[in-house]
Amino acid sequence: MLTAVVTRGAQIEVSFVTAEEGEGEHSIDCEFPVKDEQGHETGVCDTGPSPIAPEMKEVAWGAGAFIVMALLMRFFLYPRLKKGMDARYALIRGGHEQADAARASARAEVAEYESALATVKAEANDRVEAARQILEAERTARLTDVNADIAAKRDAANAEAAAAREAVRSDIAAAVVDVTSRTIELSIGRVPDASPIRSAVDEAMSAGVAQ
Amino acid sequence: MLALEFPPINEILRWKDLFPTFNKVALIGVAAALIAIVIFLLASNQDGLKAPKGVRNLAETIVEFIEEQIIMPTMGRQGLGWTPFLLSLFVFIYLCNVPGIIPIIYMPATARIAIPLVLSLLVWVVFIGVGFKHQGISYIKNSLFPPGVPGPLYILVAPIEFISTFLVRPFSLTVRLFANMLAGHILLVTFALLTEELVQGDSWILKPVGVLPFFMLMFITGFEVLVGFLQAYIFTILASVYIGGAAHPEH
Amino acid sequence: MEAFAILAQTGLTGDEAKAAAAAGSAGFAYGLAAIGPGIGIGYLVGKSVEAMARQPEAAGMVRTTMFLGIAFTEALALIGFVVFILIGL
Repeated sequence: MLTAVVTRGAQIEVSFVTAEEGEGEHSIDCEFPVKDEQGHETGVCDTGPSPIAPEMKEVAWGAGAFIVMALLMRFFLYPRLKKGMDARYALIRGGHEQADAARASARAEVAEYESALATVKAEANDRVEAARQILEAERTARLTDVNADIAAKRDAANAEAAAAREAVRSDIAAAVVDVTSRTIELSIGRVPDASPIRSAVDEAMSAGVAQ
Repeated sequence: MLALEFPPINEILRWKDLFPTFNKVALIGVAAALIAIVIFLLASNQDGLKAPKGVRNLAETIVEFIEEQIIMPTMGRQGLGWTPFLLSLFVFIYLCNVPGIIPIIYMPATARIAIPLVLSLLVWVVFIGVGFKHQGISYIKNSLFPPGVPGPLYILVAPIEFISTFLVRPFSLTVRLFANMLAGHILLVTFALLTEELVQGDSWILKPVGVLPFFMLMFITGFEVLVGFLQAYIFTILASVYIGGAAHPEH
Repeated sequence: MEAFAILAQTGLTGDEAKAAAAAGSAGFAYGLAAIGPGIGIGYLVGKSVEAMARQPEAAGMVRTTMFLGIAFTEALALIGFVVFILIGL
């Protein structure tokens, strides 16, 4: 049952050849010669069991090796290895936690410093504000003083002006009375009574001012 | 005349017994267990408080891979107690796969059905045991009669669930690992044989062509590195899914 | 098919004809078993890549589920491969 491609010249022929017809190198020495009862080789090769039939010795050795290994792994090797790994991980985790704690404390210090800075700044601001308020108050006080001064001066000037106007007015009235009485004297030939003329002139002037 | 003769499959899989009852596959299995034990012994002897390096780094990387990539997505935190079992499963399968591409050895121990069969039967026993431990006798009821199915359909659903949970699971676990590694092994043998026959054949024209299967051999060797890891990962994560599903119904 | 015709002409007898038929049908068995899982895995991985591209933060979960799905789908092809070994070699 050997397949072979046999080429002769340019033609390719496919045919079945047995091992003896071919080169036959595989059938010269058997790895598994069949022996007879006396232990002599019979020249026939043992082709062995089917390739998918398990051989008992392989099953036994394989199972033995694996079970010994699995038990060792379960009760001896793996726990030791795992213990070392866990210890190292714990160490690393501890280091991490330490670093975290250090970072947190550093952060707290920074926060503290910042809060101190903030209070100092607030104090400075307060002082500046107070000084500004004092200045402001002083300025408004000065301003009111000056304003009062100006108002007093303006009142005095106003009073003076009113007095001058009154004086001018009485002068004008006296002159008008004089002119009127002189006119009447010229027209009627005698000196008229002064008081009615004065009251009439006053009346006319005040009426003129009122108009 | 050029004859390419593929050896019978048992010739590429069997090896003379070193001594009665101990052959190459058994040797690789025992060596895998020993190598894993030595690696983890050396690793656990190093000081755990220092930064891990060398063997310890390797061992811790594997442990973390199992915990983060296999247990956490499938079982969650409460599954971390299964780490040693899944860790041994992963390491053992990987170390059994890897000899398939190591020169001189060139035989993945998992390309014979014995070791995958043993491991998947072990996983089968473990997940059924976990189911009975966590849910008592109602584990049978929970796994055969999933809630949310209309009553009469249970006649259909229960046998399907029984077959898929208790028969197909160990079978597919075994066959997946075994057939993947066997297929990789046969591919390697095929291209190695092709290279040899072409380069050492009589035809002068065909000798340079032998480079092509050689490159393919290199490529498949690289691919087998990936497959060896991936199959160990898939076997372990499926074991994890089965155990997690048995411990907590309705996921 | 041509190969079968050539084989038929060579006039094999008994066991040889049986071996020839077994070799041929083994190839067919594996080839047919590979079609479905091939399509399935392609579809599965394509959809997973789409999901990972859409939500990169869920990539880890999607990848785990993808490997599980591949494992289940691939099992069919591997059963075909075992059948190939059983009947062909």
